Amino acid sequence: MIQKLVNILLVEDDEVDVMNVKRAFSKNNIKNELFVAGNGVEALDMLRTSIVPLPRIIILDINMPKMNGIEFLKNLRDDENLKNISVFVMTTSNEDSDKINAYNLNVAGYILKPLSFEKFITSVATLKNFWSLCEM
Amino acid sequence: MEESAKSCQEELSALKKEYEDFVYIVSHDIKTPMRAISNITTWIEDDLGPDAGADILNNFTLLKNRVGRLENMLNALLELSRVNRTEMELYEVNFPKMVEECIASLDNGVNVKFHVNYNLSNENCITLGKKLNKVVFNLLDNAVRFHDKEIKNVFVDVRENESDYEIKISDDGPGIAEEVRNKIFAIFYTVNSKDVLDSTGAGLTISSKIVEMVGGKIYYTPGINNGSIFQINWPKIISLKN
Repeated sequence: MIQKLVNILLVEDDEVDVMNVKRAFSKNNIKNELFVAGNGVEALDMLRTSIVPLPRIIILDINMPKMNGIEFLKNLRDDENLKNISVFVMTTSNEDSDKINAYNLNVAGYILKPLSFEKFITSVATLKNFWSLCEM
Repeated sequence: MEESAKSCQEELSALKKEYEDFVYIVSHDIKTPMRAISNITTWIEDDLGPDAGADILNNFTLLKNRVGRLENMLNALLELSRVNRTEMELYEVNFPKMVEECIASLDNGVNVKFHVNYNLSNENCITLGKKLNKVVFNLLDNAVRFHDKEIKNVFVDVRENESDYEIKISDDGPGIAEEVRNKIFAIFYTVNSKDVLDSTGAGLTISSKIVEMVGGKIYYTPGINNGSIFQINWPKIISLKN
């Protein structure tokens, strides 16, 4: 059976954090295609116009300008065509309110961005294990 | 008179809200560039490879260590600001069990002998369990971490008084010099240089803020063989101060 790699949509406004994810992908030898949206509005647009092809999962930051992560999640779950996509939150926000809001909107995981890049590589490897299940 | 009390109350609420917003901004907006410094440092180090030279590699290590300290300090400030906001549940605590759990979660308990003694008419009490746990853990952690002997003795003594619990945590470690005793509860103060023993210097500050919040007392006295004694008087009935 040929595995079909999931496409990853990273919703993140910080350039360094985007580079961080790209570098962690290469360190983990992750070959999935990575799409980047700078905010929630852009992300919804990319999903609705199928710029990001199926199958797909989302890695989502919370604190972003225009439409933040929680608002984006609400829109996503309200959309018949998009509501089943797996979303992993990856954020600096350790606020209980953000975690509760995110889990209420059915997220697959909530990852705190660690300070060190080494730890981040491990976090991404864990993520990879999760989405590999979607590829079977 | 009533009118002015009301406006004072409103002003206080507004200030609290402003303070909470400030803390929220600090937690997110400072952490992002701080993480970027740490990450980019690792990338440059990685790209230069092992042949960069010992001096350069050593400077990278120093740089990452200092950013790490910055993160610890920021987290400590956040924790301090949240002392009277989070984990405020009252529940039943069993003293021996709580102490046992604190000891078990110490990550440096090697070569330490714990001597535990209780003088309680009832082992259980209903209190702010997470807060009490935090204070006891911090003091035990300090007793072990700053100990300078090969074999370390740490003593826990819990006594029930009429209106409070008297908890003494003592050790036979180096103790604290008289001239710096008035500084140990200040935020980020460390007795040793942070280069000798890397610690943030926030544990006692957070502990004393917790004890003060519940209307109790915490103080230091020198112990036997120059060790330290930290005594907490933890009230049986918690009266929260604003």
